[in-house]
Amino acid sequence: MAKRGAAPLQGEVLQGTLDLLILQTLVLGPAHGHTIAHIIEHRSDEVLQVEHGSLYPALHRLEDRGWIASFWGTSENNRKARYYRLTRTGRKQLEHQTSRWAQLVGAINRVLKPASE
Amino acid sequence: MSWRRFFQREKWDKERARELEAHLEIETQDNIARGMTPEEAGYAARRKLGNTTRVREEIYLMNSAEFFDALWRDVRYAFRTLRKNPGFTVVATLTLALGIGASTAIFSVVEAVLLRALPYPNPDKIVRVWEQAPDGHPMNLADTNFDDFRAQNHTFANLAAYEYGVSSIAGGSEPVRINVAEVSSGFFESLGVKLLRGRAFAPEEQRLHGTPAIIVSYRYWQQYLGAAADLSRVRLSMEGGVYPVIGVMPAGFDFPPGTSAWIAHELYPELGSRNAHNFRCVGRIRDGVTLEQARADLSTIARRIKEQYGKDVDLNDATVLPLADAMVGDVRTALMILSAAVGLLLLVACTNVAGLLLARTAARRKELAVRAALGAGRRRLIQQFFAESFVLSASGGVFGILVAFCAVRALPAILPANLPQRGSIAVNAQVLLFALAAIVVVSAALGFFAAWRCGAGNPQEALAAGSRSYSGAVAGRRLRGYLVSGEIATTLVILIGAGLLGRSFVRLISTSPGFRSENLITMEFSPPIPQGQWGTGRAAIARQVRQMDDIVARLSAIPGAESVGLAGAVPVAQGDNLADGGFLILKDERSPATFDDWARMAKDPAHVGHALYCVAGAAYFRTLGIPLIRGRIFGEQDDFDAPHVAVISQALALQDWPNQDPIGQEINFGNMDGNLKPLTIIGVVGDVRAGGLNRSPSGIIYVHYRQRGMNANSSPTILVRSSVPPGQIVPAARGIFREIVPDVPVRFSTFADEMGGWLADRRFLLLLVGTFAAAALALAAVGTYGVVAFSVTRRTQEIGIRMALGAERGNILRLVLGEGARMAALGAATGIAVSLAITRLMSSLLFDISTVDPLTFACVAGLVSVVALLASYIPARRAMRVDPDVALRYE
Repeated sequence: MAKRGAAPLQGEVLQGTLDLLILQTLVLGPAHGHTIAHIIEHRSDEVLQVEHGSLYPALHRLEDRGWIASFWGTSENNRKARYYRLTRTGRKQLEHQTSRWAQLVGAINRVLKPASE
Repeated sequence: MSWRRFFQREKWDKERARELEAHLEIETQDNIARGMTPEEAGYAARRKLGNTTRVREEIYLMNSAEFFDALWRDVRYAFRTLRKNPGFTVVATLTLALGIGASTAIFSVVEAVLLRALPYPNPDKIVRVWEQAPDGHPMNLADTNFDDFRAQNHTFANLAAYEYGVSSIAGGSEPVRINVAEVSSGFFESLGVKLLRGRAFAPEEQRLHGTPAIIVSYRYWQQYLGAAADLSRVRLSMEGGVYPVIGVMPAGFDFPPGTSAWIAHELYPELGSRNAHNFRCVGRIRDGVTLEQARADLSTIARRIKEQYGKDVDLNDATVLPLADAMVGDVRTALMILSAAVGLLLLVACTNVAGLLLARTAARRKELAVRAALGAGRRRLIQQFFAESFVLSASGGVFGILVAFCAVRALPAILPANLPQRGSIAVNAQVLLFALAAIVVVSAALGFFAAWRCGAGNPQEALAAGSRSYSGAVAGRRLRGYLVSGEIATTLVILIGAGLLGRSFVRLISTSPGFRSENLITMEFSPPIPQGQWGTGRAAIARQVRQMDDIVARLSAIPGAESVGLAGAVPVAQGDNLADGGFLILKDERSPATFDDWARMAKDPAHVGHALYCVAGAAYFRTLGIPLIRGRIFGEQDDFDAPHVAVISQALALQDWPNQDPIGQEINFGNMDGNLKPLTIIGVVGDVRAGGLNRSPSGIIYVHYRQRGMNANSSPTILVRSSVPPGQIVPAARGIFREIVPDVPVRFSTFADEMGGWLADRRFLLLLVGTFAAAALALAAVGTYGVVAFSVTRRTQEIGIRMALGAERGNILRLVLGEGARMAALGAATGIAVSLAITRLMSSLLFDISTVDPLTFACVAGLVSVVALLASYIPARRAMRVDPDVALRYE
């Protein structure tokens, strides 16, 4: 479980960012919901806590838009699990969203810098 | 949201459930791996995932269309609530079924008769053409004028003349009397029809004295020619000529209506007169030419004819009308009246249901208030009302469509025979679309109404108030009163329409035709004409007379045949059986020896009269009971060689010989029968309404069949006055005809039946409007009863108090009846005002009665009031029986 002292950003993940994170996670290859959440947490050094309750609606939304596709597979420990993979549109969206994100972050940083100096 | 998922939401939800299940399992496994106990691991996994139901709900909603979802819920809810109120539901559904069903059935007639395009290619290009008289009346065309129209126009692709009449045709499986049309070249091209079999007329069959040929209808071909594939040897004999059958028209081709065979007009010589209006005219306008251009073109030609011939022609313009309009003619007004009546009936039905809804809204106020209090938005409540009214009108509409199906099956029995396209009336796609539109409109109207009423009250007040009284109910009750008044007013309008039609009908059938019309058997036949021409000579007439006398003598011998008369037509019944024409009043001048002289004399208006021409025997007057007023009727002495004589009707005597004795006057009516021998008037007889019961008696000149013979302007008809039912006379008569003239078809009927045919369209209209009026009256009665009964129930306590304070039963009766009377009075006043404004639209369908006939208005208003009072009396009686003791405790 999360280390409470590390001030995880649970519930503060910006709206729409979760989508981006999911897409990025799937670049590595198909994964099921649990793995996706796990990878996001792991790669953010446990800073980003994915609320599992909002993960599935997000997956559903992405699938609905055709950015990811799903299939039933077998998990590492031999269980039935629903796997998601990136579609071609999803990949394009990821690139687009990533650059948008970079712009956004850059912009925010530029705003924040003078104040902090 | 994707539609696929919308419809598979259940399946998708299961998938998600499984997925979340899998997630929990994996997380639990991980937790165990981290060293938790299985129980702890499970709890932790669940905690982390959160409320799975909420997650599923969130996804489920993403797959939903909120609006449709709610609608579907509302429809189901509506079904449930309606099922819980079977009384209301059944009454409302049946009422709407009646309204929608009747409207749909009438629309099916309107659709077939007025709206459907004629079954010809580019039907809007087909027109009927007439000459127009200076007074604006259209007239048939004289053949010479037609020739000019055809030769000089620039706007028609085809223009054709035609006429038709009944002829006897032999050569098929049996001799029959059928309608045969004489059509000029261009006729079939004008209509754009191709033959089913064989060929159209060839040029040598379309010239004067050319080769005769005949084209038959599909029905005739089927019925009398055994649908023979090889027509090359089939020959039909008609009026003395022999006509090889060259073609068969396709099934359903019916122009002029009722025609069974077509022959070429050009085979016979033209009359050459510009005033003998004998031919109808149909044409096809060229592509790219408008109706107005065609009309202007023919007008120019007509004016040119007028300029050239001046007073010698009686046309001064041309009339051009689309064929569809021309065919529908008078029927349009009747159908419009019918549509209006049925529309009003639908309105009454809707009003009734609106009244019921209102009562229910009042009763459901609490339920609605609770729902509103629980958070149902106004929109949701309104949506629910729409769902309810939709369910109601849809079920009413489904029943209504069933009603319409049955009605359309039953309609042919009462439809008048002269209704165009009557065979093609059906509940087709258009009619169903109409029914659907009616359902949508009705449900929208009712939904708006209910929603509007629902918004009127304050839910808090409704919740707080007891079930008995709150201020919203008073407004509701008043509104219901107005609704019922509206219903009564609408009903009154239909009733007045029905009343006026009914009074006209009664006046019409009680109008004396001028003779005794009961127990009169009619027999129409065409004796063979040896040379194809009616002879006017002594030998030809003598032969006819011998044959007729023989038939009459044999018929007179049938037991029960009181009297047998002979004439040139069945009088009155068909309205236009007798030919009319101008005759010369000689006034001591010499009778013309040639038709040129005749025409020259006819130019002096002082010498010309106008009358119907009727060939008759002496026994005709006796048989029909036409009274002799002056002089004498035909006698033994009036044979062929004696001076020719005429009997005239009183109307003609008054018209042409006012203040004079017409007896002994000489006239010449040779233009009708080709015999220029002058006629001496020997008697004046009573008037006969020969043009139909709705027309005033016209002048008639009767000539003697022993002198003039049957001819082109008469169709031999024997009238038998019988003292026994027709069934006992007709078989014997049939045997006699078969024996004496075996090849001659005879049509047996009774005068009453012939009259019935003539009255059929009026009877049809009266019957339907009457039925609608009765239905509306019943609905209005139910509506009145409903309001008064509802109010009595609500006021039970008040009535109890009144009685406890000493009110008499009579006072209570007055109190309750007063409510009904007020609604009836308001309704009747409104209805009369509306009727006064609109009944003149039906003036052309009325006979001998004003469109604001006071008696009809008074009777109908009285009837409506009595019905409304009776409907209020039932609850009033209940109110009188209220036991004050019980009522005071009534909650």
